[in-house]
Amino acid sequence: MAEVVDVRARVLAANEEEAARLRKGFAASGALVLNLISSPGSGKTTLLEATVRAFGGRLRLAAIEGDIATERDADRLRALGIPAVQILTGGACHLDARQVRKVMDEAHFPGVDILFIENVGNLICPTSYDLGEDFKVALLSVAEGDDKPFKYPAIFARAEVTVVTKVDLLPHVSFDVAAVREQLASLNPAGEVVLTSARTGEGIPEWCALLEQRLAGKRRARA
Amino acid sequence: MLQRKPRQDFGRTLHELSIAQEIYRTSRAAVAAHGPGRLERVKVAVGELTAIEPDLLTFAWEALTGGGPDAGSLLEVEWHPARQFCAACNAEKPRAQGTWLRLCPDCGQALQVSGGQELDVLQVAFLPDGAGGGELEEGKGGHG
Ligand SMILES: Nc1nc2c(ncn2[C@@H]2O[C@H](COP(=O)(O)OP(=O)(O)OP(=O)(O)O)[C@@H](O)[C@H]2O)c(=O)[nH]1
Ligand SMILES: [Mg+2]
Repeated sequence: MAEVVDVRARVLAANEEEAARLRKGFAASGALVLNLISSPGSGKTTLLEATVRAFGGRLRLAAIEGDIATERDADRLRALGIPAVQILTGGACHLDARQVRKVMDEAHFPGVDILFIENVGNLICPTSYDLGEDFKVALLSVAEGDDKPFKYPAIFARAEVTVVTKVDLLPHVSFDVAAVREQLASLNPAGEVVLTSARTGEGIPEWCALLEQRLAGKRRARA
Repeated sequence: MLQRKPRQDFGRTLHELSIAQEIYRTSRAAVAAHGPGRLERVKVAVGELTAIEPDLLTFAWEALTGGGPDAGSLLEVEWHPARQFCAACNAEKPRAQGTWLRLCPDCGQALQVSGGQELDVLQVAFLPDGAGGGELEEGKGGHG
């Protein structure tokens, strides 16, 4: 006869425990931590480059770059003078909390104000892995189509902020911003939406203001 | 469901495979706590907003356990849709699978999304070693 055992355990319990430890460490250091998630090529690294330029050294920024292969994204950010560590997942389609823990143990980003974690380019897999971040940011470029929030509801329901990127391309693609706003409003009524173009600089000041606001909020909560 | 473009299918299955691995680890630990045995059935809860597809998860489970001591064990997926709730009507608003309501169809207020985040191992059924399962029952090949 088979024996039946009630388990009732979170499948990702091990990752969630590690993420909780990371979150505690980030709270103690006062750093704002973002987990950036999008399909490959939506413009995550380019948005970070524009952010580094826009802050112009006013805030101490750092980045963890998740990719399946190559140090390219970390190199792009180091070239702008911020500390960046590349995590190579060797095939895995997402970052997990243990990988971030390892970087934090080794690298230390002393006194950093905002830590950006750029996840592996993928709109699905990174969704369920908590990295100890303050919030997730989903990026959707206008070239990808305006039906994506309902097609990938898990990430857009969870991301506190959605950045619609490459809006300089709007004249060349059929992308209905209002339709995307509607989908996001029903999946995530409390979520914020920012429209940016790293090419023209449109929306970058609003994005940076949002970051500063969130950072101030975190610091206030800590005081 | 499984007739996707190969590349995409590979990526998706890889994702479900890492989830299946975690489920397997948890299930094995639950069995080990009760002595040696062979997995028969594992019941999991999967929410609509976890980005996990039940079909691909059971496919990954078969690939993962196949050829090992727990080959033939069954992964049973309990599916939990997300719900859209209207605070003004104090009622859940039904919607068709895969579609979402923009506003409450009855009163026009904004809706709240709840649930659908489940990703839990609920229950594990196993055959304790020497309890007279598998090997003793001849002529049941193919049953697993
Ligand atoms: N026109 C336009 N192109 C952009 C913009 N932002 C990024 N791109 C281009 O989009 C391509 C991909 O940008 P990345 O920043 O590398 O995208 P990513 O999301 O970091 O990509 P992965 O890390 O590979 O997932 C590059 O060729 C960029 O130049 C933008 O605002 N406007
Ligand atoms: Mg990148």
